[in-house]
Amino acid sequence: MERATLFALVTIIVVVYVFPYAFLVSTSLKPPADALAIPPTILPQRISLENYRNIATFPSVRQSFGNSLTIALLSTLITISLAVPAAYAVARFASLAGKIFLIAVLITRLIPPVSVGIPLFAIMRSLDLTDTHIGVALAHSTISVPLAIWLLASFMEGIPHELEEAARVDGCSRFGALFRIIIPVAAGGIAVTSVFVFLASWNEFLFALLLSSTSVKTAPIAIAEFRTQYGIQWGTMTSLSVLFSFPVIIFSLLMQKRIVAGMTMGAVKG
Amino acid sequence: MKRLSLVVLLFVLLSLTATAQDSVTLTILVEQGGFWLQEAAAAQFEEETGHTVEFVNVPYGSVFDRLSAEMATGGAAFDVATIDVVWMSHFAPFAEPLDDLFTDEVIGDLFSSLVADAQIGGTYIGMPTWANTEIIFYRKDLWEDPDEMAAFEAEYGYPLAPPTTWQEFDDMATFFTRDNDGDGEIDMYGTDVKGGVADFEWMIAVLQAGSPGVVLDADHNIIIDNEAHVAGLEYYISHHCDMDVAPPNVNEIDWGVAENLFYQSQTAMFRFWGHAYRLTRGDSPIADLVGAAPMVAGPGGVGAIPGPWFNIVPKTSENKELALELVQYLYDNNALGIEAPLGLAARKSAYAEYADVEGFENLNPLLQTLDGPQTIGRPAVADWQQIADEILGPIGTDALSCEEDPAELLAWGREQLEAMGYE
Repeated sequence: MERATLFALVTIIVVVYVFPYAFLVSTSLKPPADALAIPPTILPQRISLENYRNIATFPSVRQSFGNSLTIALLSTLITISLAVPAAYAVARFASLAGKIFLIAVLITRLIPPVSVGIPLFAIMRSLDLTDTHIGVALAHSTISVPLAIWLLASFMEGIPHELEEAARVDGCSRFGALFRIIIPVAAGGIAVTSVFVFLASWNEFLFALLLSSTSVKTAPIAIAEFRTQYGIQWGTMTSLSVLFSFPVIIFSLLMQKRIVAGMTMGAVKG
Repeated sequence: MKRLSLVVLLFVLLSLTATAQDSVTLTILVEQGGFWLQEAAAAQFEEETGHTVEFVNVPYGSVFDRLSAEMATGGAAFDVATIDVVWMSHFAPFAEPLDDLFTDEVIGDLFSSLVADAQIGGTYIGMPTWANTEIIFYRKDLWEDPDEMAAFEAEYGYPLAPPTTWQEFDDMATFFTRDNDGDGEIDMYGTDVKGGVADFEWMIAVLQAGSPGVVLDADHNIIIDNEAHVAGLEYYISHHCDMDVAPPNVNEIDWGVAENLFYQSQTAMFRFWGHAYRLTRGDSPIADLVGAAPMVAGPGGVGAIPGPWFNIVPKTSENKELALELVQYLYDNNALGIEAPLGLAARKSAYAEYADVEGFENLNPLLQTLDGPQTIGRPAVADWQQIADEILGPIGTDALSCEEDPAELLAWGREQLEAMGYE
């Protein structure tokens, strides 16, 4: 009985989560005229790939996917490079300064990105970094670094001190211990954090809009262009959104084992 | 010989360097429509001048965001920006005056509402690049069917033809609202009521009712509760509340849904932006059966709200002279945009040039509507969007509940405007 209730509950949760995506996929497979049918239908009455074929007529869309990938990877690299040493220091030394630092980092997460959009734009302009991959990736890192530090700090707190001490006894420097011992042990946590950082950059809209012009336009901006003054081209927009979700789904599936391992890792402190 | 070759080589190199230095890249901020409609003229400009025109294409609402960011930081990323009329007041302090471009000849070739909209505080700041407005779309197979024509004339006492007045529109909407299979359900409505964009739609009826403007007069005094506003709002809701000639789920119907209802044969006629005629989908059951006619007249005459876009030159542009030259060029070659997907222009001569060309049957109705005596732009106030979102939308939605008195709703609208500082 308990099992049946649990199963029903899980089914409801899955349906609630999956329904919007299923409807997105379904709409992308409807002929454009049926996308706005009154009354709307959940499943396509006729299957059509026309929306997907239409994408080919917008060459800039393909480029925008490449830009999104480049920027997300760069942002992940920058964020992890900065967050790992910061999280390690906070977790290992457990000082008052470290605690204050963690709170300060958290506070930056509470500031709405829209309020820093224009100052960030001005800074990037003065550094001549607008409309460059690195400029947008740096902007995305400003959102991701605080989150990454928090996540990684909690993972690193779970790594026994003895492991590092043993490495130090064997002659490792502190950095050597970090790179040879801590990072490999925390790989699961780093993988989980990387997924979140990658997703944050992949989906980000505002900073990408402000900082890109022609060269580095990202996919969310390209998709939003189908919302015009006179309405939304649902067919093309949904088909692009489905394609846009594929890399993330594949990436998450590939990382699934590490994600699960990483999630449980932070739960038990050594 | 060697020396001569060296001199020639140097000359060629110097010429190339000089050309490279003279060639400038001009950047235009646009949304998709601005790109389509100006792409051909910009390409011709590049060919003739050797300069480069680079379009920065962003989503509709993001034009405002990007330009606002530029304005706030004093940036100079754009030499020209193509903006919606509703943003003109906001960007006026940021825009270079264009008075010199508005010669008598230019003014004479533009619709009067566009000339008015191009100015803020008596200074021209934007050159119209295209103008759209709502016209009537109808089913030619119904309107030209001999049986329908005979039945309509027998019932209403005048021939069936695209409606020109409120009364004719109401008669035809009623006539074509039908339960074809007798199951008690309406299969085709005469028209629609777009409650999803109520903030815009009922304004059109206000102008047709004879108001000198919408919400505010030319001096920005409140007129939201004048007789024409009451009459316009009552007319707007009548198709839903009194006549039942429109699909009942009015609040779900925005422009996209209304367009789809018509192209799926669920409405016989509707009021919609003129560009849609050229974008009729080939797989629609009525693909070859769509007719276009000018917007109807109310007691005040033919009227609609124009939706023009303007080219402005930001004061921060580093290539101001050339940007002004480009704006002038885009105006001179305005007709090139008509063959683009949206098929729109700003100049009367551009529309007239194509009005009799097959496939452009929407242009005469557009011309006549844009030239209508009651076609008047929205007030040029910086907080227009707030007025539309917080006052006009709720008034329209509440009125469509059919339980509120339009005059009382408009009195509430006056109070809100007064609270915003208007008198």
